[in-house]
Amino acid sequence: MSGVSLSARNIVKRYGGVVALSDGNLDVHSGEVVALIGANGSGKSTMSKVINGVVVLDGGQLLLDGKPVRFSSPQAARKMGIATVFQELSLVSKMTVADNIWLTREPLKPNGMVDRKAMREKTEALLDLFSGTFKADLKPDTLVSALHPDEKQIVEILKAVSLNPRILILDEATASLDSRQVERLFELVKRWKEEGKAIVFVSHRMEEIFRIADRYSVLRNGKTVGEGHIKDITEKELIQLMTEKEKVFQFKKASVEEESSGLQQPVYLEIENLTTETLRGIDITVKQGELLGIGGLQGQGQRDLLLALFGDIPYQGTVRIKGEVVKFKHPRQAMKKKLALVPGDRAKEGLLYIRSILENFLLPSWQKYGFPLKMKHARRDALAVSERLSLVMSGLMAPVSSLSGGNAQKVVIGKWLLRDPDCYLLDDPTKGVDVHTKAEFYTLLTELSQQGKSILFYSSDDDELVGLCDRVIVLHDGKICAELKGASLTKENLIAASMGVSNGGEA
Amino acid sequence: MKRFSWDEMMNRYPAFFAIILLVVALTINFILQPNMFARDTLNSNMRVFLPIILLSVGQAIVILGGGIDISVGGIVSIVNTILATQVGLNGSPEKMWTFVFVSIGAGILAGAINGFFIAFLRLQPIITTYATSFLYVGFALFILPNPGGGIPAEIANVYRNTTPLGLPLAFYVIGVVLLVWMYIRSTRYGNYLYAVGGNAEAAYETAVPVTWVLFSTYVASGFMSALAGIAITMLSGSGNAEIGVPMTLTSITAVVIGGTALSGGVGGVAGPVVGAITLGIIQNIISFSRIDTWWETFVKASIIVVALAAPGIINLLRRKKV
Repeated sequence: MSGVSLSARNIVKRYGGVVALSDGNLDVHSGEVVALIGANGSGKSTMSKVINGVVVLDGGQLLLDGKPVRFSSPQAARKMGIATVFQELSLVSKMTVADNIWLTREPLKPNGMVDRKAMREKTEALLDLFSGTFKADLKPDTLVSALHPDEKQIVEILKAVSLNPRILILDEATASLDSRQVERLFELVKRWKEEGKAIVFVSHRMEEIFRIADRYSVLRNGKTVGEGHIKDITEKELIQLMTEKEKVFQFKKASVEEESSGLQQPVYLEIENLTTETLRGIDITVKQGELLGIGGLQGQGQRDLLLALFGDIPYQGTVRIKGEVVKFKHPRQAMKKKLALVPGDRAKEGLLYIRSILENFLLPSWQKYGFPLKMKHARRDALAVSERLSLVMSGLMAPVSSLSGGNAQKVVIGKWLLRDPDCYLLDDPTKGVDVHTKAEFYTLLTELSQQGKSILFYSSDDDELVGLCDRVIVLHDGKICAELKGASLTKENLIAASMGVSNGGEA
Repeated sequence: MKRFSWDEMMNRYPAFFAIILLVVALTINFILQPNMFARDTLNSNMRVFLPIILLSVGQAIVILGGGIDISVGGIVSIVNTILATQVGLNGSPEKMWTFVFVSIGAGILAGAINGFFIAFLRLQPIITTYATSFLYVGFALFILPNPGGGIPAEIANVYRNTTPLGLPLAFYVIGVVLLVWMYIRSTRYGNYLYAVGGNAEAAYETAVPVTWVLFSTYVASGFMSALAGIAITMLSGSGNAEIGVPMTLTSITAVVIGGTALSGGVGGVAGPVVGAITLGIIQNIISFSRIDTWWETFVKASIIVVALAAPGIINLLRRKKV
């Protein structure tokens, strides 16, 4: 195999008005592993999608072997020898392992029929790469739907490897593998490196980055802020690179003197050993009036935690509200106990998009207005809330779809304000919200916590958590890996804890 | 974890349930009609079943690809009216051959229209084919407003009474269809079909030509509908623009009984063939036992409702357990 090199220069990628990458750079050559590193929202997944052709870049240049290239689709990139192991798997579950790996590249017999025997043998050979790290019943003829997540991930890796690519992108490919499988993958990566493949390794596990990578490239806010050899840098320096110096917002904490008096507040919520499909035993205590931040990389179980508390998904464990054990099986029960959920996907879960603002505001509260509905009363209440939130709208009867993202999110919060809940569960509420509205949210959240409302606030924006919360718990792999408060609550510590670095967490 | 699941069972042997049902239905039918395996009875049954069998094969291919075709009955009607008006009761065999080919062309064209809307314009299959079904039946009514016309009895009798080696003609037709299917199934196209029906997005990311595969399923369905239309015209010998309308629901039921999931990507064509035969026998049983014919529709509709509801009910039970 001849040498290969890929460089991405000054890549720009926008999604609508949001700039995901403003100046992304990456160089990777034959026989080396480059780790692509960055905090939440730094643009590292966008960067890998640019290289493998899933998204089309808005600016900058991709050079393959020194020649400029443009990929219009993943297939185009594949033809040039670039293969990706996707984190979200691209497998057909009702087909067998062999069918999935060789789809579109099936070995054919002269009569046009697929040569199943050859395909099975080629699959066996690929599976041998990981032999001993999975159960014996993972065979070429096993249906993908019968596999465990780690085995599916292995099939996904083999699917990419079967292309015999020159450049292999591993996008969080180790996330669902166990330690033995990671070990084997790293042995293979070393072998591929020697064969002259170039490998881009996207991971959030610091320890793995230091074990496998030769070079690093750090993204921060869509810009490449550091590149170099991994042996010339320490974990601490890497984390500093990932951390921003300048802050966009001036956060007003719920005033410092209250933090100490807050200790005397009665306990509102106690969670013991909460377990779901993704959570592996969570213990939290939340006081009345506390604004508890939930941090960590995306998809570490934050969403499940909020949904479980709201009775939306089944869970094991004990939840006490004001000392009383509750087990919600339906959001209705949670609402009765004065809980409110602002879900992560407001268009799908939070709002009836084509219905009016009025209807959306009153959706959880219609019961209050009797039968037949006291519309005048309802309208007055809705108007009061919209004024409190300074909602920018043409009128209460306008559909929610006519609102901007920030104003739509205000409606989601407003519909709960009408019920005056004791506890708010917020799933990344400022995602895709403009700067001005964000500031208004922060004021609102501070106000609510001063009124004695408890708030569980998950955010993918680390600045928000550090600036706004009294205390932040960091989830990693379904567990609480750190609790930060007071002096230890800094962005550096938060990022370090998210990445699974042990020394960053403790105060 | 249980590896050998119901899922896997249905995936490996999609026709399993259909065969059990067939054996039960055959037994009941045999008790009511002891001579059912005699050559003439068998032939007269099979020639009645064949149009639905052909239609179900086309329907199964569409459903495997993740779609559904409500317009198959309309295509049958078009073919029937073309043959009945153009060949005529006194037409020559040459004329019949000519219009058999015209009919097949019409079926493929009708399927291509469905496929264009669904694959290239990304419209909902169920809505699109529901709409085109009216278009096709309307066109059939335009060709032949009132029942009438037909094909010469000699030609019809070739279909009705040919029994090579003492076996009904239908058996040979089914054999050929299944052989062709088995070949297609084992080509690369066969894999594409299952991949598109199973997870179109993953298939797309893996460079499967999803649009063309979808398009092809509707063309195949149009082709099979034309064959079904030719068969039913030779069976009845006459023309009626409404002839295909009740056949649509039957073809979907046959596919469902045959273990081909309505969600796509699971099952095959042999199951639906067995399913179509089973439905024919159920119809026989109903007519022999002198119960009202509305039972037939009731039974068919119940099968579809149960098949659709089963996954939901299983999920509900699982949720309850947690």
